[in-house]
Amino acid sequence: MRPPARLHRTGAGARLAGGALALLGALGAAGSAAGATLLITVQTPDGHALPGAVVTARPLEGQARRVAPVHAVMDQVDRAFAPDVLVVPVGSTVEFPNSDAVSHQIYSFSAAKRFKLPLYRGTPYPPAHFDQPGVITLGCNIHDEMLAYLLVTDAPYFGRTDAKGAWSAEVPGGRYQVTVWHPRVRDQPADLERELTVGDADRTDLTLHLAKALQPAPIADRPHSWDY
Amino acid sequence: MMASRPSTQRAARPRCARRLLATPGRSAAAITLLALAATGQAADWQLSLDTRLVSSDAASSFMDGGPGTTRFGRHDSGLRLGRARFALSAPLGELWSAHLDVSAWDDKDRSPVGVTEAYLQFRPYPRAGYRWRVKAGAFYPPISLENRAAGWESPYTLSYSAINTWLGVEVRTIGLEAQLDWLGTRTGHDFDLGLTGGAFGWNERAGTVLAGNGFMLHDRQTPVFGRVGPPGGAAEPFQQFDRRVGVYAGVEARYLDRVVLRVLRYDNRADPTKLDTVSGAIAWETRFNSAGLRVESETGWTAILQWLDGDTSIAPPPGLQLTWPFRAQFALLSKRFGRQTLSARYDRFEVNSSFGDGSQSGHAWTAAWLFEADTHWRVALEWLRVTSHSYNRADRGGPPLATETQLQLALRYAFGS
Repeated sequence: MRPPARLHRTGAGARLAGGALALLGALGAAGSAAGATLLITVQTPDGHALPGAVVTARPLEGQARRVAPVHAVMDQVDRAFAPDVLVVPVGSTVEFPNSDAVSHQIYSFSAAKRFKLPLYRGTPYPPAHFDQPGVITLGCNIHDEMLAYLLVTDAPYFGRTDAKGAWSAEVPGGRYQVTVWHPRVRDQPADLERELTVGDADRTDLTLHLAKALQPAPIADRPHSWDY
Repeated sequence: MMASRPSTQRAARPRCARRLLATPGRSAAAITLLALAATGQAADWQLSLDTRLVSSDAASSFMDGGPGTTRFGRHDSGLRLGRARFALSAPLGELWSAHLDVSAWDDKDRSPVGVTEAYLQFRPYPRAGYRWRVKAGAFYPPISLENRAAGWESPYTLSYSAINTWLGVEVRTIGLEAQLDWLGTRTGHDFDLGLTGGAFGWNERAGTVLAGNGFMLHDRQTPVFGRVGPPGGAAEPFQQFDRRVGVYAGVEARYLDRVVLRVLRYDNRADPTKLDTVSGAIAWETRFNSAGLRVESETGWTAILQWLDGDTSIAPPPGLQLTWPFRAQFALLSKRFGRQTLSARYDRFEVNSSFGDGSQSGHAWTAAWLFEADTHWRVALEWLRVTSHSYNRADRGGPPLATETQLQLALRYAFGS
């Protein structure tokens, strides 16, 4: 049985809303203080831009502004999570609707949040609450090929790099710790941290060059009916 | 002389015994259907009809009791039924699910409709990166890397490789299988690992087709407790009369979603001296090692290598020991272009015998184009050429060496939930 068309619309709209909320989180934090532009660019070892990398920036001095929690959506469409990576501030809630005609059974055994959503279609469960920072790996116990990540961060500035591998935020002056995360990056987490000072200049740039080649991307166009 | 022994022992079973044997299959199907009906949760189902336009110069096929190595012989040229199939999968509560696969082929089988798989699966949530899966019922052991589409079909060709054709004809787990997975890709690694073990009965007769006919390349799967081909020259592998439990154990390693490696040891542990008191059939002890490697790229390329090496034995009175070692390999290369798939496969196969009779050696080339027009329609064109040297063919009065060519145009319509 196919789900009502309403569900599909909800799914597509919800995905957009999820991305917009994450973006608003970053902008909202940035909007509170005048300062310089912090521009972070991530490049692969062969010099290509890395889109979709999660960048966080934390002030190392002073009291960090706490970002308001958001309500975000991690949808399931065509036996894939959408988006593939979602970043939300600590304390946020995330809804996991299933917009597919087939049932899914979502789980995480990551330390930051262990949970499971028994076999379902549609949106039968209330949003889950994420109050610990960390990377949460999401899977479906029926469809092993489904894999996505939820990043819960306590950093006041965060976002994902664009098609040019760039992310920027307006931040007050001071010293910052910047971290980069991406599911396909193989560099050690310690090698993906930088400290920098945002001074009087209008813009502070940092380009992070990855040392190791990316893990291959998941195969996108394999028919769902094939055994994984 | 000795070659006739396996075929004469393959005599038709009395009707009452056939009924008894068919009962577990029907019971399994009935239990599955009842279980599905008892749950309130929606089942996923699929119905498909696959028709073929065939041109073949092959000898009369195994399905017609002949020595041919392909699905269709020269007398089958024309319009044929490829397969009519109904499949049902349904959750039973939170962690169990039931699966049923039923097909009809319009061959000279015992019954016009047969169950190829019927099983219950237990699939608890992963804990700390590990997960159990348990299957009970009738299903394929995890060997083929080619038969990955619904209904244990190949998404690359119409005819399966020699190895997987044989598995479809004579090998099924009628019993239990447990698998323990380490989900490394869920814990920041590039690899997943799995260990599988199975225990099964009802396959004392696996091996008779290899000794009596040799390897073939087609897509006919024997129904559980069923029979492919006419009485007297058929595959009727799913029988139990020696009270021994067969076992297999395997390892699976995966690199991301790109590479799968499978190794498995199989031993039906049949007592080769044991005779069925009702039919006079003898138990065949069949053991093999198998290995397979599948590599896929993001550009649509797939390469599959599979290897099989084993033997099958009987020890009829008075104190004879007859053994047929067998081995087969294939290499398949395939490329997806959107909705189209082009594939080529090379098979090699060999059955020997400790006394000369029943030996076979050969190779085959397969080329196929598959076009998934939409979610319902599939068109496929396949060319298959098998060259083989067979004692069994000579034993039936034909030349031992033959080259058989089969061309199939297939049209399949499928729909479901």
